[in-house]
Amino acid sequence: MKNKIILVLVAVLIVLGGYIALRMYNKPHVNVAESDPDLVLFSQTLLEDFESDEISANTKYLEQIIQVTGKIQKLGTANGNGTITLNNGDSMGGIICHLSEKENKKMVSLREGQEIMVKGICTGYLMDVILINCVLVN
Amino acid sequence: MKTLKLTLLLVLFVGIAQGQEKFITKQGHISFFSHSPVEDIEADNNQVLSIVDISNGEIAVSLLIQSFIFEKSLMQEHFNENYMESHKYPKAIFRGKIQELGDLTEDNKTVNIEGELTIRGISKPIETTAEIKKMDDGIALKGSFLVEVKDYKIKIPSIVANNIAKTIKVSFELIHQPYN
Repeated sequence: MKNKIILVLVAVLIVLGGYIALRMYNKPHVNVAESDPDLVLFSQTLLEDFESDEISANTKYLEQIIQVTGKIQKLGTANGNGTITLNNGDSMGGIICHLSEKENKKMVSLREGQEIMVKGICTGYLMDVILINCVLVN
Repeated sequence: MKTLKLTLLLVLFVGIAQGQEKFITKQGHISFFSHSPVEDIEADNNQVLSIVDISNGEIAVSLLIQSFIFEKSLMQEHFNENYMESHKYPKAIFRGKIQELGDLTEDNKTVNIEGELTIRGISKPIETTAEIKKMDDGIALKGSFLVEVKDYKIKIPSIVANNIAKTIKVSFELIHQPYN
């Protein structure tokens, strides 16, 4: 009888452990649309931070959900998804926002020169600051 | 450090950014594939920066490690935090030269590319073939090459050693537009 109880307990533990492991293994990607931004700022501030000191900007911004406000310099597409380049001034670089698939249909309502608010994950700086999985805010 | 960065930028961009022979993309596609008996792992990066100069064949490609997207977010997390240490080494850079480029047509031409690939701050010579062709108003470069995990001192814990291949296949597709 006692052995049976232990056996059942062990079985329950194994199933539970397996379930938790599976849940961890299948952990979903961060949902940018439903997450609060870690940082809120103007596109120009973000760009200037990277242009002046890339290493400290990396520490500050990498992997963070960032909400930027800026002027649309260019609209485009990359691999079927929309891209928005934000640039207020006449700096060489800009902020390139790669939209998430769900946001693509909103591209038609955007115009160059318009000021918008975008939220996305910062992956770093090449010639421009890159934000991915972006969504438009309001 | 600042001087080094500036020099790098100069070599990478300004040096090859004059004239009409330069082509650029900021949204190139690079993916990698790891095959093992346990599982196949694949990740895509659609934010690759590449500049090619068809007058001398020089090419410079750079990408952000964190821009690689995996199907499983847990894999992406391990890739960035444990294997690539992307906070410490946010970029991978390739600098090289297309050998005997010659004239380009709208048909694919196979060329050899030789250069140096820097991952995690470690630079290794690399040689590969690629298909290059002229498009309406651009230059398309496509191909793949193999990378040895141990060349870049990437530490993979023995517990997952069987899940990750020792040799990773990297594929690239870079559609360049004229640089202005």
